[in-house]
Amino acid sequence: MITTTSLYDQLTSLYKEKRNDTESPWLTALREDAFKAFARNGFPTTKQEDWRFTNIAPFLKDDFLLSPGEASLLSTKKTANIPHLDAHEIVLKNGMLNEDVNIPGVTISPLRTALKNDRFKDYLSKHISLNAQPMAALNTAMFEHGIVIEADKNSIVDKPIHITHIYNAAEPVFVQPRLLIIANKGSKLQVVESLLIIGESPIFINSVTECYVAENAQADHYILQTTPGNVRWINFYQAVQKADSLFNNYTYTLPGGLLFRNNLHLDLNGTNTESHLYGLYLTGPGQLTDNHTCVNHLNPHCFSNELYKGVLMKDSRAVFNGKIFVQQDAQKTNAFQQNNNMLLSNNAIIDSKPQLEIFADDVKCSHGSTVGNFNNEALFYLKARGIGEAAARNLLVNAFAFDVTNKIQIPAVQEYVEKLITKKMAEAYDQQ
Amino acid sequence: MSNKSDDILEEYSNKEYEFGFVTDIEMEVAPKGLSEETIHFISNKKSEPQWLLDWRLKAYQSFLKQPEPHWQNFELPKVDFQDISYYAAPKSGAKYKSLDEVDPELIATFEKLGIPLSEQKVLAGVAVDAVFDSVSVATTYKETLKEHGIIFCSISEAVKEHPELVQKYLGTVVPHSDNLYAALNAAVFSDGSFVYIPKGVRCPMELSTYFRINTQNTGQFERTLIVADEGSYVSYLEGCTAPKRDENQLHAAVVELIAMENAEIKYSTVQNWYPGDKDGNGGIYNFVTKRGVCRGAHAKISWTQVETGSSITWKYPSVILQGDYSSGEFYSVAVTKNKQIADTGTKMFHIGKGTKSRIISKGISAGEGQNSYRGLVQVSAKAEHARNFTQCDSLLIGDRCGAHTFPYIESKNSTATIEHEATTSKIGEDQIFYLNQRGIDTEKAVALIVNGYAKEVLNQLPMEFAVEAQKLLSISLEGSVG
Repeated sequence: MITTTSLYDQLTSLYKEKRNDTESPWLTALREDAFKAFARNGFPTTKQEDWRFTNIAPFLKDDFLLSPGEASLLSTKKTANIPHLDAHEIVLKNGMLNEDVNIPGVTISPLRTALKNDRFKDYLSKHISLNAQPMAALNTAMFEHGIVIEADKNSIVDKPIHITHIYNAAEPVFVQPRLLIIANKGSKLQVVESLLIIGESPIFINSVTECYVAENAQADHYILQTTPGNVRWINFYQAVQKADSLFNNYTYTLPGGLLFRNNLHLDLNGTNTESHLYGLYLTGPGQLTDNHTCVNHLNPHCFSNELYKGVLMKDSRAVFNGKIFVQQDAQKTNAFQQNNNMLLSNNAIIDSKPQLEIFADDVKCSHGSTVGNFNNEALFYLKARGIGEAAARNLLVNAFAFDVTNKIQIPAVQEYVEKLITKKMAEAYDQQ
Repeated sequence: MSNKSDDILEEYSNKEYEFGFVTDIEMEVAPKGLSEETIHFISNKKSEPQWLLDWRLKAYQSFLKQPEPHWQNFELPKVDFQDISYYAAPKSGAKYKSLDEVDPELIATFEKLGIPLSEQKVLAGVAVDAVFDSVSVATTYKETLKEHGIIFCSISEAVKEHPELVQKYLGTVVPHSDNLYAALNAAVFSDGSFVYIPKGVRCPMELSTYFRINTQNTGQFERTLIVADEGSYVSYLEGCTAPKRDENQLHAAVVELIAMENAEIKYSTVQNWYPGDKDGNGGIYNFVTKRGVCRGAHAKISWTQVETGSSITWKYPSVILQGDYSSGEFYSVAVTKNKQIADTGTKMFHIGKGTKSRIISKGISAGEGQNSYRGLVQVSAKAEHARNFTQCDSLLIGDRCGAHTFPYIESKNSTATIEHEATTSKIGEDQIFYLNQRGIDTEKAVALIVNGYAKEVLNQLPMEFAVEAQKLLSISLEGSVG
């Protein structure tokens, strides 16, 4: 049952005409498999459990340009500026890396060049179930640009790596960037990703990021989704952890953009791993934010903790679906998950589905989910002390978000996110 | 796991089903197969009015159109609907005036089951409408109930004697097209219970029905309809034990509850159908649709269930909270062992203002049992100040079982408060150690801990049932020490 849209047909014909013979045979074969999976399943529909609350069909209707113009056409000097952030800056224009970047202990190369090397065969799409993930399959079949970030063995990267994606949305575009992050044994790196859109036309981003954290390595990944514009972003994130590794993911979605769908999958492929997944979504007018996470405990003695908090304003909609799988061998697992929501408007809708699937007995797993509003007593307390309604609200929302924002380990990013919350809330309520 | 507990586990797994016996009574059985003729046959046998036949036929059409569900968390065994006989009645006649007229074999069966049909058991204060396969055999305490104006009879009797009530309420909560199994039930339901509590009446006793599947290959399709008029109260008990069979049997019942303004319905179930043997052969498929609606303000519906039997239990007793300030409750203990599967939970639809719901679900998985909680809490935009609290805990005994939770939470109202929490763990070694230290052996310690774990739900059961439920729980736990 495939819903064929004109976009589906366009993509299909583009794939057929664009056979690239210069690619390694393994990549061609992978793309072929991925394409078959996408062609068979088509774009996801609300009939599928994973997409039942998020209908992407209306976001696919525009007449998209599938191959955005050359990066050189984009002459902007802008970058997503995070004040006081001391980082190695990487700018990807329309998905392309144009300049050489030298970061000690890290190799950064354009994806196309890197994939000539057969060793990436063991990484690319290795853990993604192409059949179950049609959008990731589409990206795998057709991605053109992207980068590989590889931290050398035992290298501690001194500063965060800040990647800014800049897209030219002068006309409607459909882009499929791809990111591969490899933290080799004993290495440590931090990646911050932000998005900048130039132009008012619709842009549909179907991105895939894979992050491999080897033994004893640590990787932190911050994804900041806070751009204004007519943005629809579907991100598939696959992280794989080996023994004794640490992985932290921070996904912050703020008003701006129409659709954000984050799929975060984490496979714990070794023992003694630790993982933290933090998410915050503050949704603005007309926005749909959907976070689907899946933590797969495959080995014993692993710890995972997930905390997602949401504040819904105006006629926005948010979806949270958190899955924890504890497989039979994964004894002594500790897995926690929590999702708290504040619904600030009667026009907002929240769908929360925390889900546990446990096949081992010696485990400690829990999940919690709440939906509520401001605590009226707290609001009254503040107002009674001369704090205005708006300021009191701000204070309470900031306090609510604090559990997630104070987990940010880069002070500049934390400050940036906190300020944005205040700003975006003010914007939403000034429109009243 | 120690060797000793392995032994116990094995011993218990090999244990024969206690209630496995077959009553040898000649039955009048409809030929196997499902078609419009079958429905005409059933309707004819029961001399039903035309409207009911039409309704059954509509349901049958809807049944034909519906695909088999595919969203459940287990593999749905293929049920051959044509290989089931849809009507079975004891041949010795269906109407009895006193116990003496009842076939002694039948009485013996009920006695084995401990159903209080005989005089002394009546003293227990339980009125029983015993369904033997499909036809009501005897109903006790009818007179007392009559004094209060309470109607408690089999649904076929109600169709004859109170057609206006049945017609008014039947299928209003679970429509004939609700789902595949509900449609099947509507098309072929053989019997069941009907309860009507008039305005302002507090039912003086617990009403109870025992169902029992007896004839081989006869699926049971009960339909229960309970209407509590304004300001009334009723507590209803449902319990099941089925004889041992090697072939799987389908049980697709429908229960509809309607609570008017200020009325309260308490519905308790202890389910102990044959769970199949340790390799998962045989056993009952218990695919049930249960739903209640709080029609008026301040109405209350409470579901309590203890599920220990059936090879597959698949049901979601739900409450539609339509009236303002109405409340719904769901208390559940589900035990799965061997290869049993339980996919159960509840749905709470908050529609009225100030509606409240409370969900307590306790799953216990042992052996290779799979236990799923699947629930929905939905707050509509008009349900100002709706309140929900959900807790679903799972206890795992053994490393080959599974516990799953699939809660759906949807809110469209900013004044609603919803809380959900779930935990999964095994029995703490420290707890067992503590009890061992005090001279309580591991087996008893586990029983103690589990009983404590399930207490919150068991406490909700009426006295008559709490004892049976505790016993069932202990039996289920025997040898599951891990």
